[in-house]
Amino acid sequence: MDLFDNLLLGLTTALQWQNLLYCLFGVLIGTAIGVLPGIGPIPTVALLLPFTFGLDPSSAFIMLAGIFYGAQYGGSTTAILVNVPGETSSVVTCLDGHQMARQGKAGLALAIAAISSFFAGTVATVVIALLALPLAALALQFTAVEYFSLLVLGLIAAVILAHGSVAKALAMVVLGLLLGIVGIDVSSGASRLTFGIPELGDGLDFVPIAMGLFGLGEIMANLDRPRPRQLVSSRVRDLMPRWAELRQAFPAMVRGTAIGSFLGVLPGGGAALPPFTAYAMEKKLARDPSRFGKGAIEGVAGPEAANNAGAQTSFIPLLTLGIPSNALMALMIGALMMHGIQPGPQIMTEQPQLVWGVVASMWVGNLMLLVINLPLIGIWISMLKIPYRLMFPAIVLFCCIGTYGIANSMFNVWLMLGFALVGYFFVKVKAEPAPLLLGLVLGPQLEENFRRAMLLSDGDFTVFLTHPISAVLLAVVAILLLAMLVPAITRKREQALAE
Amino acid sequence: MTRINWPDLLFGLFLCVVAAVVLVATRKLSFGSPADMGPGFMPRVLSIGAAGFGLVFVLRSLAIGGEGVEVPKLRPILGVLAAVAVFALLAAKAGLAIAAFTTVVVAGLASRETRLRETVVFAVGLSAAAVILFVLLLDLPVPVWPRF
Repeated sequence: MDLFDNLLLGLTTALQWQNLLYCLFGVLIGTAIGVLPGIGPIPTVALLLPFTFGLDPSSAFIMLAGIFYGAQYGGSTTAILVNVPGETSSVVTCLDGHQMARQGKAGLALAIAAISSFFAGTVATVVIALLALPLAALALQFTAVEYFSLLVLGLIAAVILAHGSVAKALAMVVLGLLLGIVGIDVSSGASRLTFGIPELGDGLDFVPIAMGLFGLGEIMANLDRPRPRQLVSSRVRDLMPRWAELRQAFPAMVRGTAIGSFLGVLPGGGAALPPFTAYAMEKKLARDPSRFGKGAIEGVAGPEAANNAGAQTSFIPLLTLGIPSNALMALMIGALMMHGIQPGPQIMTEQPQLVWGVVASMWVGNLMLLVINLPLIGIWISMLKIPYRLMFPAIVLFCCIGTYGIANSMFNVWLMLGFALVGYFFVKVKAEPAPLLLGLVLGPQLEENFRRAMLLSDGDFTVFLTHPISAVLLAVVAILLLAMLVPAITRKREQALAE
Repeated sequence: MTRINWPDLLFGLFLCVVAAVVLVATRKLSFGSPADMGPGFMPRVLSIGAAGFGLVFVLRSLAIGGEGVEVPKLRPILGVLAAVAVFALLAAKAGLAIAAFTTVVVAGLASRETRLRETVVFAVGLSAAAVILFVLLLDLPVPVWPRF
């Protein structure tokens, strides 16, 4: 029983006391930034990344992963109590969760969100364990040809499932790929786009760009528009749900988990899509859809489960294929490389302790969240009282320190400054920066595999269609792109991503 | 002015400029052949792609029409950028304590809601916390106080 051996190995890693500590630290930080609107997991992971260099890679990863799913969890607290999503993934939770809070059932809504997340997290952990091995085995047969097609699929799928205009997102991928070119070309030794700056020889660091685009650019755009904030001051009571309420929520949890696990695996599925889909489904299945938007318990349970399941299964493409499914996973790839680990199918066999340790820690972390979060709710509420006028200067400072820390280089701080301006421009012209980040991270791999495939096939472009796996992957790309040209599907997509 | 879709137009022009810069900067790199690509292959293919997208956006912005762009406000931009610049200039020489304090205060200027006294007190606290957390606990290699 490989599965049990692996999970056991994972648990022994995750349960080492220092790893438990890092996991706890990760989920606490994650929840805190999840609760605070205006700061997301991407700048936070980037900020803490440099300080994990001294750690064992598995400890570092357990902590960074904890930040991610902790943030998903914290985001719903803000959604329920303040009607402002702490994270984009908790937008839907606002709808019914906040209504429940208005009816004096804030405690129940928080508890249901927590229980749904824990349930989903448990199932998703098993899903990862089950899917990882076959996928990794498949990936081991991949040559440069299949890799190239897979990378193309990953990029295109991420674009289509992302928010906003598809054309803009595709253009952003191209921009990201162009940024990926900067540095000394590995095969020829020629320096490209370095403009004679020695610091650019190793290529652009990922972190300053992510911090500039996501952290600072967003702040500047936020300061443009005043943000209203209303706080629910009612005390949170009655945390334990009654049996009847649990029974009512349970089917929604199961469905949400299934949707989230499935969508999370898809490239680009990440965190935003699953809760929307789950909410739409619950509304459709309900006997009385008019209850939704007025405090329906299923409207909290389903999306929350989907959200957490999706957050976790989005690790599958990263761990098995070395392909990130969203911007945060792209950052995780960067983190792996900085720890000297080449992401890809071989990671399963070479670093079993790391992979299974992280998988098992997700379950442990979810348990911690369930146990510690509800008692800590008072702290989270008081954090929500920190005004934005104090919070954003703190974020600016932490972005500076984090960017400097990544390579102890002031050049990176200046680079971040430049990309902050670019990020602000992107917000103004309504272009979503996440695809750019994916392009930047995957660009070098894409070029290398393309070159290798061309070298092997002697410059014959049909090689991508004569290899069966590659042909299937490219066919999926073609179908996805064609589907975007069909107006009916485009409208459905806009509906699903609206709000 | 509502005839033109400004976000698309600006984004399209941005893409064209980036493509042009890349094409000029990599003009001396060899293109190679598909079987044996030179370092100039990818940059050229990608920048032509970017330019193509750029042109489509520019043309489309003139055709579909009807969207303005909010006029950028200078205060948030200058405040945040100045704060980052101050950090970059000060941290290595004047030490983290002074750099962190100045960064927070300058960043505070970016918002009209900022109350100076509150921000200064907050900045002192934050600067102390940053020194303890990052330099003392996490060994970030910057000095705490100015070096003479």
